[in-house]
Parts: sequence; structure tokens; C-alpha cells
Amino acid sequence: MAEPNLIGDCLAELSAQLPAPIVAELADGLDQTRQRYLSQGLVPDAAARAALAEFGEPHIIVAAFTRASPARRAARRLLATGPMVGACWGTALIINRAWAWPIPIGTRIAVGGALITAIALLAIAAFSGHYRSAGRAATAGCIGIAALDATVLITITLAAPAVVWPVIVAMTASLARMTFSARTLHTVLAS
Amino acid sequence: MRAEELKGHLDALLLAALEDGPRHGYAVIEALRNSTGGRLDLPTGTIYPALHRLEAAGLISGSWSVVSGRQRREYRLTAAGTRALSGKRADWRDFAAMISAALEGQPWPSPT
Repeated sequence: MAEPNLIGDCLAELSAQLPAPIVAELADGLDQTRQRYLSQGLVPDAAARAALAEFGEPHIIVAAFTRASPARRAARRLLATGPMVGACWGTALIINRAWAWPIPIGTRIAVGGALITAIALLAIAAFSGHYRSAGRAATAGCIGIAALDATVLITITLAAPAVVWPVIVAMTASLARMTFSARTLHTVLAS
Repeated sequence: MRAEELKGHLDALLLAALEDGPRHGYAVIEALRNSTGGRLDLPTGTIYPALHRLEAAGLISGSWSVVSGRQRREYRLTAAGTRALSGKRADWRDFAAMISAALEGQPWPSPT
């Protein structure tokens, strides 16, 4: 009775950390590895042990999937491109003397806090060793960044005295990032 | 050959394993084992995330099928994957020729 428990325990450990389709694929591979050892004459318990030894430790497999996860990849891209988009907006806001706009100080602090939170969530997703927490953090970070982009776009449309080319560049960068965030959300939620 | 020595080459090996046609994860592992005479020494469970990474990069595509009541994911090379494999093969030949020339004390490229 030990054989099914060995494989089952491994799959249960993987299921706790990875999405069901990935675990189904791993279960198939693990079963085929076990079948190969059985066909070589090993008893079921020994075949299960040999298959698990060949397969690798669950935490190593989970870590490899986390490194390859769409959430982690997207978070790293957003973090890498963030300074460029930020520089575009910084230039656009300075040119438009944004500090003189009639925006309450509380709103400015709230936007700043939201930006820091979104960046922190993306950083968690980018460096997390846990597949599910990376996915959750990337989802929240993408939503946060997209919401901030939308907020800034609406604000500058309403408040900017003139739309000069740095504003157009910044708006284009934000729209591109919002599109990327939407695609990322779709991919991460589907994974 | 250990996993550390494979770094940088695993993608090319996986693409090559799919060159002859679609394969599922375990068949890819078997193909790698056969093509290397069983000398590859890496946790086979880590082949699956590598396949997912190649799929995300658009070099291979995956699709599900049901075999004997069990779900099985099969992978095939994309056009981009075929091009990438050709590039990796050329890079490897260049690299191997350079190292061989250096180890054997010959100028590189070798005069013909």
C-alpha cells in the first residue's frame, strides 16, 4: 500500500502549490516513469521510489515552474519598463507645471501611495518563490498599474492646459502599458 | 552530464527533441535520454517547466489530448522554434569548433 501513497503524497504537495493543469501533466509524466520501472521488473514500491527519485524534489519542480511563470515574467517586464514610462510622465508633468494644478494634497498622496503599493506588489511577483503568491501579487500589481495609468490619463486630459508632444509620448506609453497589463491579467488568470 | 553543465543548452536539446514531430513531456524526456545515451542527469520533473517556458516564448505550442483516460499535453515546434533551433545549432557548431581549436592548440578558424 506504500506505492500509491508515495506518488499521491508528491502530487498532493505539487497540487498545493501549482495549478491543476500543470499537476495533471506532471502526474502523467510521473505515472509513465513509474510504468517504465515496473516494466523493468521493479516491484510497485521500488518503482514508485525510483520514479520519484528520477522526477526530482517537489520544491525544485515548483521553483522551476515559478521561475517560468507568466506572472513572474510579466511583473519583471513591468518593473523594467516602469522607469521609462515614469520618465515620460515626469517630463510631461514638469512641462505642464503639474504642481500648480488644483489637485488636493490628499489625492496626490493617495496616488503616490498607490504607485508605491503597485510597485511593491510587482516586486513580490517578480521575486517570489511561490507560484500562487506570484500570480496573486502580479494580478494585483497589474490592476494597480493599469488603474494608475487610467487615472493619470484622465487627469491630464482634464487638467493639462495644452497637450504638447511629451504628453502625447507619455499617454502613448501608458496606453501601451495598459494593453500589456490587460493581456497579462488574461494570461495569469488563465494559468 | 549534470544539470549545471546543461545550462544554456537545455532549450536547444528540447527543441531538437521535438524536431521529428510532436511529443508529450515524457516522450521528450525519453528522446533526450536516448539521444544522449542516458548520460543526462537532471531531475526529469524540471523538463516540464522548461517546456512551458519555451511555449511562452512561442518556440513550441502545446495542446491537450486524452490518452487512456488521462490528460496528456503534447508539444510541437512552431515556425519560430524551428528557426531558433537552426540558430542554436549554428551557434553550437561555432562554439564547439572554437573550443576544440583552442584545446588542440590550433588557430581558429582553422585554415583550410
